[in-house]
Amino acid sequence: MKQEFIVIREKETAARVQNSSVNAVRIKDIVKKAVRVYENGKIGISGAIGDIGEDALVKGAVENLTAGIDYPYPLTGNNKDHRSYNDKAVSSEELLEMAESILATLQKEYPDFSFSETIASYGMEVEMRNTEGLDLKYSDAICYLGLLLKEKKTANLFDGFISCDGRQFDLNKFWDITRPVLEAYRTPVALPPGDTLPIISFDTSGPLGFLAKSLNGERYATGSSLFTGKMEQQLFNEKVSLEINRNPIFSPKPFFDMEGVVLKDDRYPLIAGGKLVNVFTDKKTAAQYNLPHTGAAAGEYDDMPGLAASWNSPIPLRFQSDSTDLRAALKGQLAVLVISSSGGDFTPDGSFAAPVQVSLLFDGEKLLGKLPEFTMRSHLNKMLGQDYIGTFDNNILYLGDLPNQLQGYYMTIMR
Amino acid sequence: MFKFPQGLYVDVRIEETFDTKISFKKENLEEQKIRTNKGAFIRVFDGNRWYYSSITNVEDIQEHIDTLAKMATPDPNILQHPIVKAFEVNRDTLIQHDQDSVTDISVQQKQELMESYLALITDPAIVHHTSYYVDNKTIKSIYSSKGTAITFDKQTCGIRLTLELACGENKDQVTVSKAATNFAGIQGQEDFITEEINKSVTFTRDAEPVVPGEYTILLSPEATGVFTHESFGHKSESDFMVGDETMRKEWALGKAIGQELLTIIDDGGEPGSGYTPYDDEGTKSRKTEIISKGILTGRLHSTATSAALEEPLTGNARSINFEFEPIVRMTTTYIAKGNRPLADIVADIKEGIFVETIKHGSGMSTFTIAPARAYKIEQGRITTPLKISVITGSVFEALAEVDAVSSEYQLMTFVGGGCGKMEQWPLPIGFGGPYTRVKKLKVQ
Repeated sequence: MKQEFIVIREKETAARVQNSSVNAVRIKDIVKKAVRVYENGKIGISGAIGDIGEDALVKGAVENLTAGIDYPYPLTGNNKDHRSYNDKAVSSEELLEMAESILATLQKEYPDFSFSETIASYGMEVEMRNTEGLDLKYSDAICYLGLLLKEKKTANLFDGFISCDGRQFDLNKFWDITRPVLEAYRTPVALPPGDTLPIISFDTSGPLGFLAKSLNGERYATGSSLFTGKMEQQLFNEKVSLEINRNPIFSPKPFFDMEGVVLKDDRYPLIAGGKLVNVFTDKKTAAQYNLPHTGAAAGEYDDMPGLAASWNSPIPLRFQSDSTDLRAALKGQLAVLVISSSGGDFTPDGSFAAPVQVSLLFDGEKLLGKLPEFTMRSHLNKMLGQDYIGTFDNNILYLGDLPNQLQGYYMTIMR
Repeated sequence: MFKFPQGLYVDVRIEETFDTKISFKKENLEEQKIRTNKGAFIRVFDGNRWYYSSITNVEDIQEHIDTLAKMATPDPNILQHPIVKAFEVNRDTLIQHDQDSVTDISVQQKQELMESYLALITDPAIVHHTSYYVDNKTIKSIYSSKGTAITFDKQTCGIRLTLELACGENKDQVTVSKAATNFAGIQGQEDFITEEINKSVTFTRDAEPVVPGEYTILLSPEATGVFTHESFGHKSESDFMVGDETMRKEWALGKAIGQELLTIIDDGGEPGSGYTPYDDEGTKSRKTEIISKGILTGRLHSTATSAALEEPLTGNARSINFEFEPIVRMTTTYIAKGNRPLADIVADIKEGIFVETIKHGSGMSTFTIAPARAYKIEQGRITTPLKISVITGSVFEALAEVDAVSSEYQLMTFVGGGCGKMEQWPLPIGFGGPYTRVKKLKVQ
């Protein structure tokens, strides 16, 4: 009987912030374990939280074999890959000292705002090994600051964010961007004239989430994807390229999927030059529908691996950066930098609308002031087609040392 | 049970969970998972700062209490601290599901129920489907250094079908779901599931893009629930008001913010996914009228916010699980039913939109509702299905726009999803209410 073991260890120290002061300190020490057993083309899984002995989990997994769940696919094996991405994690003491220092500065220099939420350090280790020679280990630690900003003169729940995530916390760079951001929050400005404006966003999760539905190999093969039958067709602007990217440099998550697959260079192309070139698959989908296997198995530690990504473990899709000079791309036009756009959505055919609760006026380099609320509207095909401005490495607005991007499109504005 | 250190307030919450998940891809069994887990959350308060620990090895609770106590600064007068004084002391064992526990239903019975519903999926427009049965039974025990010692249970179970639809070029992914607090509550749902499938197929085939603009909106009980939760519910969570004079002034108790027909209630004692007989600080649940006949009359509180704002406890300190501290959250929140028949309300609408089901919502200064199924209302009749990205409104104005609530009324229980507040998502909540008419909202 073949056996596979997954162990996740998470440790966190979090300073919980209320009214610009540390109100609480939270320490987490969480262990999650799962065992999978494979026999006669069937799989059995058992999992538990806590430092449970592997023998008990193996026993549970063997019992689970009686459910008769098919898994006739070869296990990933013969691969030892141990990677550690941060050997100099911020300690709990350093974290608390840093949190107190940041908050003291915010209280002193920005008394017209109050700040709340979290400044934390988070460490994780994820192991996956099996009796076929698979031995993968990912360890990492990040420090993150996510503070809601509330203008004391408003009755809103909150009026903006400041954030910074990274393996090291560069306080100088943090203040170099946070001060102009906070000054911009203090400076109300009007939306530039025109029905269509360039919209720049840090957050590509909206388009990626919608694209993920149609790039899902199972939906593609069964006909419910918008892209069914469109392999090798030009879907978007020829600058647009999108890939599965499991390189933890970009996102602090394991470099392997939930079937232990490590991609060559940690990436797999799905859209290249605007053309659909692949859809994402796990072993089952690839075999069942005769599609290339792209190492996209997702799920919780004790789930059956599959394409149904959980909310905290989405398929790691990433646009490739395709442009370099945002200011030049704007051609002198002022843009809207979206800070918070919550609650919008795509219709099934790709129409998009979203309220923008918080945004800043931006010339491609400098932040010029805070804009009023408005609604933006477009369609996926336009956003990534004729109205696409580009995807840029974010070298302008420091959000921590995890490489991040800015993406831009022209969109219709409803004032 | 535990040795609580002197000069500090301490509470310990232990959560034992039983979960089942049985998943299918089309008619094929994909997963059959049964888990029992245990974790604990420990809080220590020294009058100045809280110290928390979340652990999975519950036998180490005492060790973690002692570790947190070393980080704190004991205060001999801790019992006189306003927050500590405000903590209720409850001693109770409230086990509701001894006789109908999901732990007593065999996995075969659960699987067979699911298979019986899968047999209803026959429409050729459904090109693929995935589905699951889930249940959860949680037993919580809360102990505090003031003497609280309570144990209670709660459970939900449900089914969820995710259907991939392709009607020519019109494609969609829709869900059909049913949940209850015991297994019997989700049996015999064939008619409901068949009707939901048929409505979804028709909608995908026939829906037209909406013409953006301002419309009168009629909300179903489900949509009313999301509207209430997002447009006002989050504003009633008082942690947003502590230390914020502008917020307190804007949302002062006694202020008129709606018409007399509008009453909004939060009730942790209501059975369902929001059931919270004691909150995660051990406070007994209350039925809180947040708005009474259009007047703001209450807010939702944790012990800390109750002490800070000098308002009564409401039992709304909740966490999503043992990994997090309790914060102010809703339980089951709803608009109280009205006295106008639905048919009468619809007949009044010359041009509007009926929102029947919802994908999601959000609630900042602008709240949003993303409909799943919505329809035109023309000359008092519900007609053509409409594709809508999002409906938006101002939380400061929307409640005043409510001008009719129906006598028909429904509260709902859910599996899958829940309410999110910063890092804590998803929290099971309940909602619903009557059919509700809002005079004017923006539709995109």
